[in-house]
Amino acid sequence: MGAVAEYFDNIKNTVTTIFEGMAVTASHFMRKPYTVQYPDRIPVRVQDTLPYRYRGILNVDLEICTGCLACERACPIDCIVIACEKDQKTKILTISQFDIDIIKCMYCGLCSEPCPTGAIHHTSEFEGADFSTESMIRRFVTDPIDAYKPKKGPETDERIAPILNRGMRYVNEFAQGGEAWNGGVVDDGAAAPGADDEEEAAAKQ
Amino acid sequence: MSTLRTEEMTLNMGPQHPSTHGVLRFIVRADGEVMREAIPDVGYLHRSIEKIAEKVGYHGFMPYTDRVDYVCAMFTNQGWGMASEKLANIQVPKRGEYCRAIATEFNRLASHLLSVGTMGMDIGAMTPFTHAIREREMINDLIEELCGARLTFNYMRIGGVAWDLPPGWREKALAYLDHFEPILDEYNALISYNKIYIERLANVGIISADEAVNYNLVGPNLRGSGIKWDIRKDLPYSVYSEFDFDVPVGKGEWGKLGDAMDRYMVRIRELKESVKILRQALKQIPAGPVLAKVPRNFKPPAGECQIRVESARGDMGWYAVSDGTGYPWRVHVRTGSFAAMGIIQKLSQGLMIADLVTLIASLDVIAPEIDR
Repeated sequence: MGAVAEYFDNIKNTVTTIFEGMAVTASHFMRKPYTVQYPDRIPVRVQDTLPYRYRGILNVDLEICTGCLACERACPIDCIVIACEKDQKTKILTISQFDIDIIKCMYCGLCSEPCPTGAIHHTSEFEGADFSTESMIRRFVTDPIDAYKPKKGPETDERIAPILNRGMRYVNEFAQGGEAWNGGVVDDGAAAPGADDEEEAAAKQ
Repeated sequence: MSTLRTEEMTLNMGPQHPSTHGVLRFIVRADGEVMREAIPDVGYLHRSIEKIAEKVGYHGFMPYTDRVDYVCAMFTNQGWGMASEKLANIQVPKRGEYCRAIATEFNRLASHLLSVGTMGMDIGAMTPFTHAIREREMINDLIEELCGARLTFNYMRIGGVAWDLPPGWREKALAYLDHFEPILDEYNALISYNKIYIERLANVGIISADEAVNYNLVGPNLRGSGIKWDIRKDLPYSVYSEFDFDVPVGKGEWGKLGDAMDRYMVRIRELKESVKILRQALKQIPAGPVLAKVPRNFKPPAGECQIRVESARGDMGWYAVSDGTGYPWRVHVRTGSFAAMGIIQKLSQGLMIADLVTLIASLDVIAPEIDR
């Protein structure tokens, strides 16, 4: 091929391939847009569209917290601080402090995994911007509260039962293969809620 | 004219240059527009991740491995999981291995899509980037449903994976693959076979097969030079020996073998191979548990181990030494991006400054992976 022919061939190739690309671009004028307008132009809140396993800002349901300190030990960056006192006479465990520093938190989910009742769990909330670092430390205990004692049968307290149901659903997500599409074998990841851990916590006191 | 004094100019490209793929600096000695050499200056993103491992223990280190290479965090997860399992001699359940393979291959798709997308953007084609990112977002949505995060997954655990596939996820994944394959052809029509694009990439940064081996390149950079070496195929780990897939290599169709275009096309072809693997994995996945019994207080016996994972950026090595306590004595990560930095000084000699961007993009370096 002569130099002149190659020159014009290059120009022809360039123009045709550009038009091939432009045809793809033009075809997208006819398609549905993929982008989503954030935050206020969709019918439901973004938080409600997130999947169940989404790891957002941590929340604690103190009503079902057994004070076993499993989450505090699992946290690799120590952003959870819990203080528990056990009354030697009445044997009641009291939680006097439960703080989560959500600035330090890296949303890894390692704390919610060992929780026997699902008290500490990730919410679908992710908008956490604030004006001061102090207000970013979530303090869940205002007045000292008695730790939850898991019962043998189903929960009878009407106030706590729905919270525990929510928590146990969260635990079941980690119970391997529980809700799998082909019905995998259930591994006892969430066996005996609280029983061992509470003793362990008591031993630590 | 010969009396005019000319001198070399020293330029700093980066660390905040938008096309250096992270905080990465090049000291460029240039004569006009032609580079004498470009010396990569790494270390801006050093976060002592290897040292952190010695402080947080085996389970606690898993979320940190996400930060080694945040574009394909599944592979770093898997690397650390496999290293710990090898130390303690733990057998991962079959379904767990399949979940791992599915998650990592989806992550490879996401990583390669980002790579080929930014390749176009770095040399001035903005549209392909938005197309690649659109498909990557859908993968992110799938992975978000699988493990709850879009970038720092922390999906794997020592002994398997944290969660099983959610109900209905498999159908969604298969539907995505059906959607993805025609899109890949569309993507090729949009940019890969564009004459201007080919002219920008062909014959730039040619790495011969010998050079690629001598400079210890791995992954698509090595395969772009025509060497068929893939850890998944040659040293099979996990369940990769059960899948039927090809290892694409550069052929030098548009220029000399081992140029930037070859490395780009290897990634495009690997996308197709990953789709192939994913289809087989989603079809063959057995029932069963996904996580082996591993104590919370994990203390592997004293010893050392080295494992290799084929990450999206190539052969990733994890070396761990245990002294029998709950904390690893030493952890070292060997990553593909760091190896790729070594050859830039040599390749840049005589290259135009504008082609340096092409070279970096074609090597697909990720700054946090270089420094850890």
